[in-house]
Amino acid sequence: MTLTLERYGVMLRSTIFCLCGALGVVSADPAKVPLVLTLLLPALLACCVRLRSLHRPLPPTLLLVSDAAVVVLTGLSQPVLGGDVADAMVEAIVGISVITFQHEWATRPVVGFTLAALGAVVCALGDMFSSPAHGADAVHLARMLVEVGLSRGAHVIVRARARAADRSAATRAALRREAEVAAARRATEREHLATLHDTACATLLMVSQGDDQDWSWLPLRAARDLDALSAMPGFGTESIDLSVLLGCVPEGVGQARVQVKLLVTGPLAIPSGPGLAIFNGVREAVANVARHAGVREAELRAWTEDGAVVVELSDAGRGFAPESVPARRRGISASIVGRMKAVGGSASVASRPGAGTRVQWRWQERPPASPPTDGTRAAGLPGPPGARAQRAAVVRFIRGQLLQGARLAALLISLVAQFTVSLGQLTAHQDVYGPAWAQTSAFICLAAVAATGGAYLLRGRRIPPRVRGWSVGAVLAVSATGAFTLPPERLAGPEDWVFGLIGWHALFLLADLRVRVLAVFLGAHVGLNTLAMFVLGSPTVAESTGMGLSTVSTCGFQFSVGVLLMHLLHDGAPAAGSAAAREEELRTRERIHEGMQRDHKERYRALTATTVPLLAGLGHGVLSPHDDDVRLRCGVEAARMRRLFAESDAVADPLLNELRACVEVAEHQGVTVSLAIRGRRKEVPVEVRRDLIDPVAVVLGHTRTTARVTVVWTPRAVRVSVVGQDFADGRRTGDLVRAHHRASASKVALAKGAHRGSVWVETMWEAPITSGVDLT
Amino acid sequence: MTSNSPVSVIAIDDHPAILSGVEAWCAASRRPINVVATGNSVRDAWTAPGSTADVVILDLQLKEGGPAFGGLRRLVDEGRQVVVYSMRDDEATAVNCLDLGAATFLTKNEGRDHLVEATLAAADERPYMPPALAGALGTNARADRPRLSSREENVLIEWFQSESKELVAQRLNISVRTVNSYLDRVRIKYANVGRPARTKASLVARAIQDGLVDVEDL
Repeated sequence: MTLTLERYGVMLRSTIFCLCGALGVVSADPAKVPLVLTLLLPALLACCVRLRSLHRPLPPTLLLVSDAAVVVLTGLSQPVLGGDVADAMVEAIVGISVITFQHEWATRPVVGFTLAALGAVVCALGDMFSSPAHGADAVHLARMLVEVGLSRGAHVIVRARARAADRSAATRAALRREAEVAAARRATEREHLATLHDTACATLLMVSQGDDQDWSWLPLRAARDLDALSAMPGFGTESIDLSVLLGCVPEGVGQARVQVKLLVTGPLAIPSGPGLAIFNGVREAVANVARHAGVREAELRAWTEDGAVVVELSDAGRGFAPESVPARRRGISASIVGRMKAVGGSASVASRPGAGTRVQWRWQERPPASPPTDGTRAAGLPGPPGARAQRAAVVRFIRGQLLQGARLAALLISLVAQFTVSLGQLTAHQDVYGPAWAQTSAFICLAAVAATGGAYLLRGRRIPPRVRGWSVGAVLAVSATGAFTLPPERLAGPEDWVFGLIGWHALFLLADLRVRVLAVFLGAHVGLNTLAMFVLGSPTVAESTGMGLSTVSTCGFQFSVGVLLMHLLHDGAPAAGSAAAREEELRTRERIHEGMQRDHKERYRALTATTVPLLAGLGHGVLSPHDDDVRLRCGVEAARMRRLFAESDAVADPLLNELRACVEVAEHQGVTVSLAIRGRRKEVPVEVRRDLIDPVAVVLGHTRTTARVTVVWTPRAVRVSVVGQDFADGRRTGDLVRAHHRASASKVALAKGAHRGSVWVETMWEAPITSGVDLT
Repeated sequence: MTSNSPVSVIAIDDHPAILSGVEAWCAASRRPINVVATGNSVRDAWTAPGSTADVVILDLQLKEGGPAFGGLRRLVDEGRQVVVYSMRDDEATAVNCLDLGAATFLTKNEGRDHLVEATLAAADERPYMPPALAGALGTNARADRPRLSSREENVLIEWFQSESKELVAQRLNISVRTVNSYLDRVRIKYANVGRPARTKASLVARAIQDGLVDVEDL
């Protein structure tokens, strides 16, 4: 905005300089023209320098000198030219210059004021030299200084408005952004949960409930479910235990069966993406052993080495020369090496004819690449809805605020000008007007218009069309009164307070309309005055030139302010507004992206660790649905997923809701579950709820007859407990509960007990005291 | 009352199936329990033969309207031992009944395991603490509640959670006897606060006499 104002200031000043200079030269005594030109031409040059600087920045000192030169040279031309026309010309040029300086040097008000003071001094000196008898015209000087102050004031008001608009727009945008982020996250989350529900969860539930049926469809279905799970965004970052996954590597059947000797030391945590790539590679390599090696056993080892996970499959078969494998055979290159490369790992095959084969996979965690700061990665994401409408709203908002500021500034100028300079003129020249009361009532009428308009503007409201119509009419009437109750030769002279003033009233009344309307008004105003001049008297050339100069310097100035406003409001603001809106949209996308990543990591962390090996095992026939233990595991996984789905329900007691989701799965499997709650419910964060409930899902999944689930809310803590009767494989489940529990970060305490076939597991979470839990 | 003499009860419930269940459980008791009357209104406890029964087994939610707290209070004021046996499973009701002077409070789920024992304990003026009641007392936030030690609160909650004194004993590394004595002490502390009632006083007196609690504890 400051730039636009500066450009405007320089342009206006140069235009006025050229016009008034030309008028001055035309009306001057021909003998003095060369001398005047020697003064005005360098000034014109200085103007050109300044214009040029708009496109190519020049050092501020040079600009300062050129600005000062314009003023001083113009001032010097006054005594050289001599006469009233020269006075008016210099006054017009210097007057406009000191005003525009305030905008050109808006960021350095001191320079602006200094230049203005210089202008005033030049004017005063010029007056003194050209007509030593009169001395400096105090009224002119005062008026100039008032104009400078008003110019600065107007600038400050408009800028403050623009800033307030920016701040306010930013606050609104932030609120809206949060809402959009939340909505988008909910939407994507629902979609993913639906996928999960239709695929993995449904399969696992079926396995957990049935026993003696035809399961031939299961491997294909489980493999597809795993694919669906892997396709979800954010998949691949959750950690899983590679040793469990390697235990699921199929050995093949009948002739193709290879006995895989698994030698793995301890759990090996690895993100599920690389984990699955290794798993699939190993599967392919085991099949290769069956097909090509000529042996029926292989050794599968896995270990960590310098922070890298290494998996090695070796056989003592007949081996081969790797370089002799034709390129079209894709087993090794695609299934083993390609897959590992795709997830940032490596695989290698070492073999010699007669010396067996060794396939090795390596995967090492690299520091995560710093996220790109540009918006490219967010480009493919769902955008916030209604971005275009919002952009338009932002533009409208900023435009409204700017307009309000500009009108306030115009109102301030008209009021100050009216009650300082114009009031002074009116009282000093009462005897000139005929009749004087007409001029006085015109003055009061104008003040009333300003007061009415001001009352609306200060309350931040629009001026109603009727009020505006009446006001404009009144202002025109004042113009006519001013023109026809003053002797024609005095028009636009020191006695005419109306001519220069009412343009400002028109400006604040008409600022939000098209600039044409303002032009018509000013035209009518000038026309009235010209009419009065020619009807009531016969003007001389000097008088006409004076009138022209006045028109250019005052009405021209006012009109140019109107044009500037139009420019700011109809071009500048939309540009700023849409830039802000685009930036906002991008920011929103980024936040949606971040949020989704985080959600996924959190939610599927626990799930992937247990679900992926199960689906992989079922998909490759290593885990049998006829196996009691496998069915129990499926039941637990299904309950976990049901709990996860329940997380997104909007209910008053989410803990109970999620608990019930697990209980329902157990009830489907024929377990009688009693659920009892004591104490007053409190807020529990979602990640804590996960850890509180997960052991319940495990215990319920292994209970065969009855179970009791309780929730006890004490003033400090929440305790979730499950007692399962007729427990299947209690020892192993105890391990399961504990193993899962260790991986979590929340401070949920776990206690276990067993007595005569029943297992009791309790989880407890103490709310931190700072979280505002009441201790009554 | 000696520890093996027969106990007479009146069961008040508006559901015939429940009454049959109560009669069956009482008939199966090792120590004889005679159901001298059954009825569907508190009035039946005031007329013979119900008025002679040692223990009143009372369903709080009778056809007459809301919870029969008024009926319970009048019975207690007359010195009758009342075992409240209710569908209601909220802690406020349980604590209310104890405050009014009921011998104990049982939910319908607990009938099979606890009704007979609770009835016998009421006849002997001994404390009895079924799990649902323990849960209610363990989370009681009323201003007039007695002060419990953290161990006592833990025993209450874990008894509520597991419904197995063996599991509680194992968890806390104490004997089942000790678990029982914690539960009894809490019950006596409750009898010693709130609204005065003859039944509560006799419960406290009996507990001191049996050495369950010290006078200093109260």
